[in-house]
Amino acid sequence: MCNYHGTIRLLMQVLWAHLLCGWAFGSELTFELPDNAKQCFYEDITVGTKCTLEFQVVTGGHYDVDCRLEDADGTVLYKEMKKQYDSFTFTAAKNGTYKFCFSNEFSTFTHKTVYFDFQVGEDPPLFPNENRVTALTQMESACVSIHEALKSVIDYQTHFRLREGQGRSRAEDLNTRVAFWSIGEAFILLVVSISQVVLLRSFFSDRKTTTTRVGS
Amino acid sequence: MMLAAPGPGIVVLFAWLSPSYALYFHIGETEKKCFIEEIPDETMVIGKYRTQLWDKQTGSFLPATPGLGMHVEIKDSDTKIILSRQYGSDGRFTFTSHTPGAHQICLHSNSTKMALFAGGKLRVHLDIQVGEHTNNYPEIAAKDKLTELQLRARQLLDQVEQIQKEQNYQQYREERFRMTSESTNQRVLWWSIAQTLILLTTGIWQMKHLKSFFEAKKLV
Repeated sequence: MCNYHGTIRLLMQVLWAHLLCGWAFGSELTFELPDNAKQCFYEDITVGTKCTLEFQVVTGGHYDVDCRLEDADGTVLYKEMKKQYDSFTFTAAKNGTYKFCFSNEFSTFTHKTVYFDFQVGEDPPLFPNENRVTALTQMESACVSIHEALKSVIDYQTHFRLREGQGRSRAEDLNTRVAFWSIGEAFILLVVSISQVVLLRSFFSDRKTTTTRVGS
Repeated sequence: MMLAAPGPGIVVLFAWLSPSYALYFHIGETEKKCFIEEIPDETMVIGKYRTQLWDKQTGSFLPATPGLGMHVEIKDSDTKIILSRQYGSDGRFTFTSHTPGAHQICLHSNSTKMALFAGGKLRVHLDIQVGEHTNNYPEIAAKDKLTELQLRARQLLDQVEQIQKEQNYQQYREERFRMTSESTNQRVLWWSIAQTLILLTTGIWQMKHLKSFFEAKKLV
């Protein structure tokens, strides 16, 4: 009898612990969005979870994209057109599948690379044990605060990396454009100056056998 | 209680047995989806995916479809292929970067039963973890027999190592950026000098040529 109760209790604890660490996720992805394309991502969220969607356009065109976030019933929670970067936090009011889409349909020939970070809930605890009734010791809480601070450092690093990537991409574009343009313009200059001379010469050429004289 | 000891072990097992990777998206039959991970060198990346096939008859996604495969191709920043393998409908791929840069992870379905998939769509659950997120701390604690504080210290050490690697990578990228900017600067400088010279030369040539031409024509 004792064993049976113990098993049931253990099972309940296991299930509860699994539930705790089963519903906290963070997805961070960078993907390529071709022109005239739309890409949607879905996630099942439980009610009351605090979620954050952050996105940034890394390369392509004017570095802007349309973003749209809908909840389980299709109600639009967030909609922005031609945004370069944004962050949106919300608390899930309903259970169900939430959907967010990035659209490049307004662009005719530029591919865009979009980075997004969708955080759902808190990070899973380091120790999936269920008796957290005892308070953390000072050392442990110091470790927790260092961990949180380092997480924000990593977050800032990611943002910096994306901005730097954007700047570098623009600089490389500029470099190629300058190279092509200088070669192109040199060529055009030579062609135009030679054809000017040729055209002028043709005005005074002796091929015209008759020269009309007006009013002689 | 004898059963209390394997408790955490059972929890870990549970978490591993039922893969509930939260984020998913749909891809078509011949579609190839690529994701980019910009990472420093010697960084481990673990990707896990789960696929579900759309069933026209029931109008929903089947929980599991054997025989459905996904081809995973990973290219590094020099577009050299570092992994190109076929996995089943549930897969887990791992790689460690040896060069810093933007690595490209591409997935496309490679289903053998084309009739199953014809005109349908595939739901792909995907989870990509990079760097210190790939560490499984309960497993490390069990393997190295670490106390709670030691495990927390280990986690902090891993995080700091990741930050350090990223900073090194940042230095390398900044150098590339600077080289690109200096090259642009040089090109603009040379181009403006060259353009002025070309203009002067062609102007002088035009005048000289036309003068000799008109003199020959006895118009001047």
